[in-house]
Amino acid sequence: MITVNTRENPWREGLTVQALLDEMGFIFRHIIVRVNGEFVPEEAYAQRQIADGDDVQVMHLIAGG
Amino acid sequence: MQPQRYLRNLLSISPEEQARLAECRVLVVGCGGLGGFVLEYLGRLGVGFLRVVDPDTFNEGNLNRQLLSSSLNLGKPKVLAAQQRMQAVNPLARVEGHQTLLTEENAAELLSDCQLAVDCLDTIPARRTLQKACAEAGLPLVHGAVGGWLGQVCVVRPGENLLDLIYPEPSVEHGEEYEQGTLSFSAGMVAAVQAAETAKLLLGKPGLRGELLVLDLLNASFQRLRLE
Repeated sequence: MITVNTRENPWREGLTVQALLDEMGFIFRHIIVRVNGEFVPEEAYAQRQIADGDDVQVMHLIAGG
Repeated sequence: MQPQRYLRNLLSISPEEQARLAECRVLVVGCGGLGGFVLEYLGRLGVGFLRVVDPDTFNEGNLNRQLLSSSLNLGKPKVLAAQQRMQAVNPLARVEGHQTLLTEENAAELLSDCQLAVDCLDTIPARRTLQKACAEAGLPLVHGAVGGWLGQVCVVRPGENLLDLIYPEPSVEHGEEYEQGTLSFSAGMVAAVQAAETAKLLLGKPGLRGELLVLDLLNASFQRLRLE
């Protein structure tokens, strides 16, 4: 299991950040991803593997006022 | 003895707290979708002094969400509308308007004599400038942002630099709001949470700490994410 935004989520071998975003329906253009607190840049989504037990945060980047 | 206008406040706030709010001074940076509602809520609550900073005038594109805009004041300064509105709503809450951009040069002066700042800005670099100025002044910052059906709020205490975690890429100036616009109720909801967090800071009540409150009004979801 992994944690995504404080909620438990199934994990599988080879799970990448990009696959997780696709599966969870995070389709917005501006997204901030952290794995165990470490910021993952967009260009690394397809390669960055998520390990069993990881804590993933996905935030939409919003800045309007 | 508190004025009759605060009668309904006094069921949730003690007379002593109400009196304390009258002595409080708050800087509101940005007088658009968030700032207009934040001023309304804090002024009606009874915060005694509100300094508001915004260089802009109203245009037609503001009318879908900005409380202070109307078809009668297009082209007029936002901070002037804020002063006029509060004079009508609650003359006990003084609004001091500055029709200017908050910059590294003027931030310390604008923060002077205030107990905290409310971030109602609309660009990431300006928000960073405000966070830096608040840290240097040793003051807390109540951050809010909105985009489409989404919103977020956090309280940044001096030295925490939480905005660096929310906005980690220095080259990025805008977010999802450029794809999705901004809806009236998203702005009002985020501003309401900002006003509540401001009131709690002013009254010494526990509030958001080290967390980002994420509001998703499309899915009716509120979530607290730890920032570290």
